[in-house]
Parts: sequence; structure tokens; C-alpha cells
Amino acid sequence: MMTLRERVNVPAYFQFAKKAIARESTYKFEVFTAIGSVLVRVYLFKTVWTAVYAQNAAPTSLPLHAAITYSTIALLMGLILDIDQTRLLHDKLHDGSIASDFMKPISVPGYLFSDGTGEVLFHALLIVPALVLSLFFVHVDVPPPLVLGAFALSFVLGYFVGFFLNFLLNCIAFWTLEIHALQMIVTWVTDLLGGQIVPLIFFPLALQGVIYALPFAAMFSTPLLIYVGEIPPSRYLEVMGLQVLWIAILATAATFVWRAGAKRVVVQGG
Amino acid sequence: MPIIETRGLRKVFRSVKREPGIGGALRTLFSRAFEESVAVDRVDMAVDAGEIVGYIGPNGAGKSTTIKMLTGILVPTAGEIAVAGLVPHENRFQNARNIGVVFGQRSQLYWDLPLRDSFELLRAIYSVPRDRFARNLRHFSEILDLDRFMDTPVRQLSLGERMRGDFAAALLHDPKIVYLDEPTIGLDVVAKDAVRTFIAEVNRELGTTVILTTHDLADVERLCRRIVLIDEGRIIYDGPVERLRSEYGTHRTLVITLAAAEADIAFDHAEVTQHEGNVVHLRFDRRTITAEALVRRVMERYAITDLAIIEPEIETIVRRIYLEGYDTQAGGTPA
Amino acid sequence: MIAAFRAAADVYGQYWRINLLTALEYRANFVMWMFFTVIYHATSLIALYVVLERFPSMNGWDFRDMFFLYALWMLAHATNNTFFSTVGDIPDHVRDGEFDRFLVRPLDTLFQAIAIPGHITPDELILAIGTFVAATIYAHVHVDALFVVMVPLIVIGGACIDLGINLAITTASFWFTRVDALRWTVMQLEQEFTRYPIGIYGKGVRLALAFVFPFAFMNYFPATFFLRKTENALHLPPAIGLLTPLVGITFVAASYAFWRFGLNRYKGVGH
Repeated sequence: MMTLRERVNVPAYFQFAKKAIARESTYKFEVFTAIGSVLVRVYLFKTVWTAVYAQNAAPTSLPLHAAITYSTIALLMGLILDIDQTRLLHDKLHDGSIASDFMKPISVPGYLFSDGTGEVLFHALLIVPALVLSLFFVHVDVPPPLVLGAFALSFVLGYFVGFFLNFLLNCIAFWTLEIHALQMIVTWVTDLLGGQIVPLIFFPLALQGVIYALPFAAMFSTPLLIYVGEIPPSRYLEVMGLQVLWIAILATAATFVWRAGAKRVVVQGG
Repeated sequence: MPIIETRGLRKVFRSVKREPGIGGALRTLFSRAFEESVAVDRVDMAVDAGEIVGYIGPNGAGKSTTIKMLTGILVPTAGEIAVAGLVPHENRFQNARNIGVVFGQRSQLYWDLPLRDSFELLRAIYSVPRDRFARNLRHFSEILDLDRFMDTPVRQLSLGERMRGDFAAALLHDPKIVYLDEPTIGLDVVAKDAVRTFIAEVNRELGTTVILTTHDLADVERLCRRIVLIDEGRIIYDGPVERLRSEYGTHRTLVITLAAAEADIAFDHAEVTQHEGNVVHLRFDRRTITAEALVRRVMERYAITDLAIIEPEIETIVRRIYLEGYDTQAGGTPA
Repeated sequence: MIAAFRAAADVYGQYWRINLLTALEYRANFVMWMFFTVIYHATSLIALYVVLERFPSMNGWDFRDMFFLYALWMLAHATNNTFFSTVGDIPDHVRDGEFDRFLVRPLDTLFQAIAIPGHITPDELILAIGTFVAATIYAHVHVDALFVVMVPLIVIGGACIDLGINLAITTASFWFTRVDALRWTVMQLEQEFTRYPIGIYGKGVRLALAFVFPFAFMNYFPATFFLRKTENALHLPPAIGLLTPLVGITFVAASYAFWRFGLNRYKGVGH
């Protein structure tokens, strides 16, 4: 059994995160394309919203500047939320190296989390240049501090929803190694039903009922609607409570699936 | 007339410099510094048709760069090449018909399908006439015993079986020359032996010229009469395996079996490297003492029931040369 | 000449045989990817539908028109994906050394790289044909002889535009080994920018989409012609939409020249 000291071996986990940052930064081509892609899409969304708002009766709830702000922030969030922080698990299951990790005196999920956090921190750094450059194309509304704080908190909660969702998906690789297609499906569904592409409030009401019963809205839509003021402070507790609930559900599921999967590796020797 | 000939062959690469650590990684995001490296330097080589040549060198010595130039994949920075009368990189298609390539670590067989399907594709790629294709396939099946697994998906084959499949695949179009890159890597003893037998047989029966690069020098001892050593891009030895052995393998080992157990055995000019029961290994330098003299001295002192002299393995000699450098004065430094 | 052509056809047939046999070995995975293909296009169309339900007109185009616009792009894109998408695997082959194998065989390198089996199945193409037929009916496009003759040519021309872009990105991998991210980004942006009538973009973007990365020839110009709309983005005569095959061939030829240049560099002729 692992001692507490090993379990909370912070310097080791810090090293994992640092290594992930170094690894990510070597993919310079990816870095430039990621930022470039965000910028081009910021322009695209601005153009599309401007065109449809100008030629039709504008909806009262979300004026044009708010719609543009929404899409810009959504794209910047995507820099973090669209990455698969636990891809390492899948890779390790694929090449079999997971077995040797179980032999080390570290918590394997802790290792995966540190690695994912390093990757995320590196991508979080990209938000700064992407935001600064975006401001050349679009005006972004800045809400009052209270709303900004609530947005930040809700964004963090959204991050954890995404983390556990990815973790669960990657755990499927314990049983079947071909999960790439499934992951892509989930990414595409997340972007649409999470409200990254089109704000969920624009969806037909019948569809909205289904969408809010799924965890995807807790990733993008909740923080975004807080940011643009569509969710008023009086509802913060309710919406963030729902995010926490999703985290609890997904984390519980992840724990069970992880245990079952880990047992398979230990018993069958990878 | 040699079938492969190079003169002053040279290849220089330019690569991006990488810096260590996070800081270095972030710096390389914005800057690119280049460095040049000479992979192959003034290589002169002539190989006659029907030879089996072991082309040996440590990692990064320039072996695969040379092979890539011979196969027409890379264009040399300087120098001349002629392979079966063609300049490979200028006549890539024609050259391709003359050569077969086996990369030991990379199969050209389709992983999920039986050998037959991959062969059928290669028949089309090299436009091998159907009757010749059938004849070759029959022939190789015989030597390599392919029939047993001809219809099994490649992923279910053992490494040895797969390698035999790869050999057949490389030879289906009757190439004049085959380049074998690490053909026995990862194979077990039995499979290695089968592959070596096959190479020898193909060379003998079809007269195919074989260029063999390998880290397993037992391949070379078993197959090649000639060895070419390359290090840091330059050829440091080119000649018969036997000469390398006699000139650089200065140390031998005399193994004696004593009639009765003895303790504290010692001789001048010989070192006891092993002493187990009645069997004693004595390592000696043949330039300070001849085998004959040593045997005489041993027999003066002890009663022995058996003796043998072990020649140095090429492996040991080559390792020495890499570590200590090659002395161009034949028979110079002890190896 | 004829012999060479027949030999190439023989190889191509063998490649496709292996391709389909391999796909059949992985039925579960094949079904998942097929499902992803559906999701990929469905999410785009749903997003489009949601927006146009809220805002019924975009530069005078309604959802029906834009469905047709999308379906035309989808058909050309699926054609490229089915027959030429293996071009995108070339950087992987370069990385793992498999590319050298193409170079030691007596066939054109690019032909081998394109023909090589890559778990490709015609599912997207079938889906795209179905979607296109549905969109043609739904958008009340007038189907006449010109339509029947030109659509296949336009689709091939559009696929050539896709191939041209893909080949150019692949060629870039001779300099930068990792171009997967760029390819994905360009594919994503292509799908998003071709979704709308190009009149909504700024002048520079409109010109770029028409003449630099000629995606507008994949769907916007031909759709404008078939939907009998006035071309108000660049004020060109509507018949420009029939030039797609020509544009496609030209574009792919330019890209091929770049490929030859990159390949020579790979072989060490450059620097």
C-alpha cells in the first residue's frame, strides 16, 4: 500500500506537470496554428453574427455585441476545454506502458492529472496572445468584477466536468483500444450541445430541454451565459450547483470505471 | 566489373538546433539555429556481382545514409554512384526494379491480411508477369516454407515467419541486388538461423548481390566473406573478414582441461580469465607468445586431457575498433 | 503508354482490394467512424438550422439555400476524402520511415502514397450523395441536362481544390515535421467558411476564398448559379460557377509543382 507521503509526493507531480509543459511547447507548429485558428474563427463568428443581426429582427435578450463577446470568449475557452487532458492514459494503454506506472510509488490518476494540468497551463498561456490579437477584430465586453469572478469560478467547474468526461472516455481504452472515433464524436457533440458554436438560448425550446439534461452545457454554456449576463446573479447558486452535481456524478463514475480498469491491468499484466 | 561502385560519396545534413529545458523549448518557438553534420564522407566502395558484403558501423555512423543513396532515396551532396550501371537518384524507377530492400524493423506486408494479398500487390507494383510470379512464389515457398502460413493474417505470424514473408516480398521481382537492413533483429536463435540459411541460398542459387547492415556480427561471420566498417561517415576497414580477424584479433584464448584439479595456475604472457573445476581459460597475445609455445609450457607443467584454441569473435574485434579507433597501420594496436 | 496505364490500374485495383479487406477486419471501428462522419456533418447542419431559424435570412439565403450550399461542398469534400485523403498520411509515413519504401519502388511516389490503403471506405461519399440529392429536392433546384452534366465535373473540380490544399500542407511537412494540427485547422476552417454565402465576409476574405484558396469554387459559385441567385459578393457573372473544374485542375497542378519541389528537398537536392 502507498504511504501518505508517497501519495502526496508533490514535487514528483510538479515534475510531471513541468514535463508536460516542456513537451507541449516543442510542438511550435501546433501552438501557432491553435492561436491562428482561434483568430480566424473569431473573425468568422463576428462576421456571421453581424450579417444575421443586420438583416433580421434582433433577439432582445442577446444584442449583437453580447453575441460577439460570447463567441470570442467561447473560442478562447476552447483552447483549454477542447484539449484532452487525459490522452496520456489512452496512449499508455495503447503502448502498454501503463503497467510500469502501476509499479511506481505514485498514484496513477494523480500522475495523469498532473500531466494534464501541465498541458492545460501551457494552453492557458496561449489565451493571452490569442485574446490580445482578437481585440484587433472585435470588441469584447468586460462585465463587472462580481460577474467576472463568478465566470472564473464557473469556468473552473466547467473544466472539471470536461476533465472527468475525458477521463471516463479514456478509461474505455482499458477494454477496447480503438476509442479515437468515439472521442471525436464526443468533442463534436460537446461543441454543439455545450453551446460553444451557437448559444443554447437560440435553440428551439423543445431541444433545450434535452440539452440541459446532458453534462455538456455545464462545460461551455454556464460560464458563458454568466459572462454575458444572460444568467443573473440570483441564479448563480443554482447553475453552479448543477455544475458541481455533474462533477460529482462524473467523478463517481470515473472512480468506478478506473478501479475496474486498473484491476484488469494488474490481473492481466497489461 | 563491379555492380555497385561509389567514388568520393559524401552527404551533409543540416538540422535545426534544439535547446534543453522549458526555457530552451520556448526559445526555439521563435528562433531556428542550424547545424551541419557530415553523415557520409568520401566513401569509395566497389562490390562485385554475387558478393555478400557486411556493412557495419555503430548507430549514426552513416550506414543507412549510404544505403539510402545507393537505393536512390537520397541525393548525395558530392561524389558518384553507379548501381548496375545506373545512377540511382537519377533513374529511380529503373534502379528500383534492380533492387530489393528488407527493413528488419519495418515490414512491407499488410498487417491484417494474409501474405498472399501483399504478394499480389507487389506483383502489380513491379509488373511481374504472372507466370514468373507463380514460379518465384513456388520457389520461395519451398525454401522458406511459406505454405504453412500463406493464408494467415500477418499480425498472427511469429516474427520469424513474418520476416520470411518479408524476404519473399523483397525478392519476388528477381532483383539483382538486395539491401538487408537488420534482417535478424529481434529474432530467436532458430529463426535467425533460418533467415541466414535463406540469404546464403538466395545468394548461391540466384547470384543475388547482398548488402547487409546489421548489429549482430554473427550474421556477418556466418554470411559474409567481406566486411566494410564505417565510423563517423568514413570507411575504416574494407576487406576479408579473415584479415580483420588475423590483424586485429591479436588475443586468443587457450582452453585446457586438466587431468586433476589444480589451484593457483599462472603463466607468463597469459592471463587466467576463467577457472572452473578442471577447465581453465588462458588469454594470450599471439604477438608476445605463440600458441605453440604456450601449449608446450602448459604441458611441461600439467597433465591435460583436452585443449582448444578459441579465435576472437568478430564482435569483440569490431567493438574494440569502435572504442579505440582503427589504426591504419595493419596489425598496429592490439585489438 | 497504354501498358503503363494498365499497370497503374492493376496496382490501384490491388490497393483498393486490400483497403476494403482491411476495413472489413475492423468492423466495429469502421462503424464508429461512420457514425462520426454522420455526427461531423449533422452538427454543422444543426448549427446552421438553429441560427437560420432565429435569423431567417443571411444575405438573402435561407436555410434551404444553405443546405444546398453545404451539400455541394460536402459532396466534393467526401470525394476528396474517399479517393485522396491518404495524402494526409504522408507526413506519418515520412516520420516512421515508410515513405522510403515508396521511393524504392518503381512507381510514382505520390501515386503510391495516394493509392496506399488507409482504412478508407466509401461511407462518407454515399452519405454525401444522399444528402446532395435531398438538398437538391429540398431547395427546389431546377434539374436539367446542364445540371446533370456539370455537377459531377464540379464535384471532381471541388475535390481537386481540396486535394491541392491537402497536398500543399503535406508538402510543408518536408520542412516542419508536424503538420497535423495545421491540416485539421485548415479542414475545420474550410468547413466553416464554406458554410455561408461569401458575401458576408470582408472584401479581402472574399477575394482570398475566390482566388487564393479557391474554396468558393467548391460550392458558393456553383450554388449561386444553380440556385439562380445574383452573385453579389464579387459581382461576377453567375456562369463563373461552371469554371470549377478548370480552377480545380489548375490549383492541383500548382500544388503538384510544390510537391515536386518538396520531394526534391527530401531527397537532399535542395539546401
